[in-house]
Amino acid sequence: MTATGGGPAVRGTGAAAPAGTGDRSRVTARHRAGRLRTVLGLARVEASLLVRSLLVLAGLLAGGAVVWVIFGSVEPLWWNAAWRIGFGQLVLGMAVLVAAQLAAGRARRDSMADLYASFPATACTRTVAHLAGLVGAAPASLVLIGATAVVVQVRGPIGAPSITVLAGGLLLVIAAGAAGIAIGTRFPHPLAGVLGALVLFLSSATSHLGSGGGIWLLPWEWTQDQLGSLPGPLAGYPPAGAHVLELAGIAVLAGIVALTVTAGRARARGGLATAGILALVVICLAGAMQLRPIPTAELNHLVREAADPASVQRCTTASHVRYCLYPGFGRDLPSVEAPVSGVLAHLPARPDQPLTLRQVLSLYLPDSTLTHGHPERQVSQWQAQMQRAPGNAATASAIYLPVGWWPAAGGRLADAHFDVALAAAEWAARIPHQATGNPNGPVFLPCVPLDQAREAIAIWLAILATRPPAGELQDGLGGLGTGRGFQGVEVRNTMVPTWAYPGWGASYITSAGAPQTTAAGYLLASAMLRLPEQKAARVLKSAWPTWLNWHTTDAQLAAALGIRMPSVPAPPAPFRTPRPGVTFVQPGSGPQNPLCTA
Amino acid sequence: MDEMTPNVRTAAVRADGLSRRYGATRALDEVDLTLERGITGLLGPNGAGKTTLLSILATVNEPDAGRVSVFGLDPREAAERVEIRRRLGYLPQELGYHRHFTVAGFVDYVAILKEITDRRRRAEEVARVLAAIGLEARARTRIRALSGGMRQRLGIAQALLGHPELLILDEPTAGLDPEQRLRFRELLSGLPGDPVVVLSTHQADDIAAICPQVIVLLQGRVRFAGTPSELAATAAGRVWAADQRDDRAHLSWRGGDNRWRHIGDYPPTGAEPVTPTVEDGYLLLSHAAGAR
Repeated sequence: MTATGGGPAVRGTGAAAPAGTGDRSRVTARHRAGRLRTVLGLARVEASLLVRSLLVLAGLLAGGAVVWVIFGSVEPLWWNAAWRIGFGQLVLGMAVLVAAQLAAGRARRDSMADLYASFPATACTRTVAHLAGLVGAAPASLVLIGATAVVVQVRGPIGAPSITVLAGGLLLVIAAGAAGIAIGTRFPHPLAGVLGALVLFLSSATSHLGSGGGIWLLPWEWTQDQLGSLPGPLAGYPPAGAHVLELAGIAVLAGIVALTVTAGRARARGGLATAGILALVVICLAGAMQLRPIPTAELNHLVREAADPASVQRCTTASHVRYCLYPGFGRDLPSVEAPVSGVLAHLPARPDQPLTLRQVLSLYLPDSTLTHGHPERQVSQWQAQMQRAPGNAATASAIYLPVGWWPAAGGRLADAHFDVALAAAEWAARIPHQATGNPNGPVFLPCVPLDQAREAIAIWLAILATRPPAGELQDGLGGLGTGRGFQGVEVRNTMVPTWAYPGWGASYITSAGAPQTTAAGYLLASAMLRLPEQKAARVLKSAWPTWLNWHTTDAQLAAALGIRMPSVPAPPAPFRTPRPGVTFVQPGSGPQNPLCTA
Repeated sequence: MDEMTPNVRTAAVRADGLSRRYGATRALDEVDLTLERGITGLLGPNGAGKTTLLSILATVNEPDAGRVSVFGLDPREAAERVEIRRRLGYLPQELGYHRHFTVAGFVDYVAILKEITDRRRRAEEVARVLAAIGLEARARTRIRALSGGMRQRLGIAQALLGHPELLILDEPTAGLDPEQRLRFRELLSGLPGDPVVVLSTHQADDIAAICPQVIVLLQGRVRFAGTPSELAATAAGRVWAADQRDDRAHLSWRGGDNRWRHIGDYPPTGAEPVTPTVEDGYLLLSHAAGAR
C-alpha cells in the first residue's frame, strides 16, 4: 500500500492490468449469464417470502371472508359468482401490493442501500427478480379462487364458471403486486404501500360514481353491475377478455415503471420507454373494447326474456300449481315447491283460482352500465317492453320470484320458504293484491286485511307449512311486544300495528301489491297454533267459504275456535318508528293504506 | 484466477486525485493511494472521509474528480464495475438488517446477490462464513433476536462470502467485545488467497495488531501511509511519561499506573521519554492536522 506522494513506494503485487477488448466482451457475456442466474435465484427467494408472508395470508383470509359475505346473500349464479370471486382477489391484491412494496423497498428502508450497491446484482436485476417473484402471490390467488369456487360448487351453482373472469382475478393480484414493486422502488416507506392499497380499494369502492362502460375500466368493479339479476351470462357484460388485457397491460406498465426507476443505462431506459408506450397502447385498446356497448341483439334477447318470460321459461305443474323457471334454474324447483306444497297440505279446500310461481327479472334498464352506447329511443322502447313484464302486475294468483334472490341454503332459505308459503297461503285465503299508488313511485301503500279472519288463517297456514322458529316470528312484532317501539300503518284514520314476517322486505318474491300483515293477524295465528291442528282444521273446514269472506272478523274466528282474542298493545303516542318499505304518515295527514276487500 | 486476472504485477487498487464534496463539505481532497495485497488499516477521526473513500473503492459512490482502478478495472465502465463487485466483500459502516430474515436466510440472500447461484456451493459458503464468525449455532435465529455484536459479526460474515479478493470493512470491530475482536483479528489474519483488505477503524491497537500497512486520513487528505511502526516512529522523541500534567503538551492523559503520558514537542519537567505507539503517532498527526 502507498499513498502516492505520501508514503513508501509501491511494492509488487498481484494486481490486474486494464482489461483489453477481448476481455471486456468475455466480461459482458459472463455478466449476462450471471445476471440471469441471479434473477432466478432471487426470484425464488422473493416468491418464497411472498408465499410465507403473513400479510398475504391475511389478504387471503380477508378476501375469502369478503367473498363468503357476498355469497351469503346471492344465488350461486356462475356468471355473477366468478366476478364476485374477483372482488375477493382485489382484497388479496391489496395485501400483495403492500407486501411487494415492502419487499421492493426493503434495502433502502433497512439502511442497506450501500451494501446492495456493492453487489454485482444491480438494482435493476433485483427489480426484475422482485417482479418474477410475484409468482409467489399466485398460490394465494389460486387457493382463493379454488376455495371460493368449491363453495359455489357445493351450493349448487347455475351456469358454468368463466375461466377468463377467474383468470382476470389472478391477473389483478399480479398487477397489484407489480404496482407495489413500482411504488417500493421509489418510495420505501411502508406507508407508501398502504396508500397504494388504499387507492386500489377506493378505485373500486367508488365505482358508483362511474357510469356506462366506464365502470369496467376500474381494477375491479363490484357495486354497479346487475350480473346477479341476469337469467344467464350476457355477452360483453362484463367485457372479461378486454379487462384481462387491461390488467395485463397495467401489470406490464407497473413493471416497466419499476424497472425505469432502477435502470442505470440510458439505452435500457429507452427500451423501457418504448415498452411502456406499447403497454399504454394495449391498456387504451383494452379500455376502448370495454367501453363498447353490449350488442343490440343481446339486449333485445334479454328484454324479451324479461318482458315475456313464458316464451323462454320451462314450466312444470305439481299439485295443480305451475312453476315456471328460466332454463338452467330447474335446480330451484324442489326448493320453491316445498313451501307451496306445505300450504296445500294443510288447506281445507283448494281455491278455484289457479296459482303460478314464475321467475321474473328485476333488471333496471335505464342503468347505463347495461345500455350505454345505445340510442335513448331504443332504451325507451326496451323499457316500455319491460313495463309489460308479468312481475309488474299485482295479482294474487301468481307469485313472482326475482332471478338471483333465491338463497341456496341456511337461514335465508328458511325465510324465503316462509315468504313463498305466506304468499301461497294468501292466495289460498283469497286475500287480494290491492294497493294505492305505483310500486315504483314515491308512495305505494298495500292493502291491509284489518280485522279479517282470513289473514290469521293465511299466517297459520304459512307457519304450519314451514315451521319457522317461534322467536323469529315474535321478532316480527318489533318493539310492540316489549312496549319499546311501534311499527304500523294507517288505515281509516287508525294506526294499525303491523307484523314483519320472516323474509319480509328481502325480495325473495316481488311483493308489489302483497297485503300488509298485521300484528293482530299474527297474534291470532299464534293462538291458533296452540290448539291441536286437527281441531283448528275441522273448524276451518266446516265453514271455509265464511272464513274467506273479508267481513268475517278475527273475533268470530277466535270464538269458533274457542280461544280468547289476543290483545294487541295500543300504539304509543307519538309513534315514530317507520319501517323500510312502509310509508309513514301522521294520522289523517296523508295517504292511507287501503283496506283489503273483495 | 479468471480471465480478468492480471498478468502484470502492479498495485491491486489505485486511486488518483480522488475528490468528493457533500455540499460545502469537502469529504475527500485529491486523495492518491495504492493498495496492495494484505491488510491495510485506515485510521482517521469521524468526518475524516474514511467512509466516503471506502464507498468509492467499493464502487458504491463515484468521486467528483479523480479515478479509481481496482485490479486494473475501471469502475466507471458498467461491465468492469460489475466485475469489481464480483471480487468485492464490503461491510458498510452503518448497516441495517432485514430483521425478519433468519441469519442463514440473510447470508444466503446476500450470496445470491453476489452471484453464488449454485445451491450446493451457496449452502457451503453460508455454512463456512457463519462458522468463521461463530454464528453457526444461530443460523435459524431471526436477525431481530441478535445482539448488536452478533449483528456486526453477521455483517462481517456476508462480506466474507465468495472469498473476495478485495475486502472493505468500515469499522468492523465497533460493537464487538474484546474476545470477539481477537477472534476477528485471527479471522482476518488467516484469510486465504492473500486478498486486499482495507480496514477502517478507530482502534489503533487493531491496526498495530494485524495491519502491515496503515493510512491516516485527516480532513479528507492522506496524511500518512506506511507501516504501523513507521506511524509510531513519527512520534519518536515526542512522547513522555511524567508524574505531573504539563499544559504545553498537545495531548496528555493519566494512565493506569497513575503517571501522565504527554505527547508534545517539549518534555515536561522531570519527564522521561517512552517508546511511542501507533496511537501516539496517529494522535500527533491528528493534532498537527487540526492545528493547520
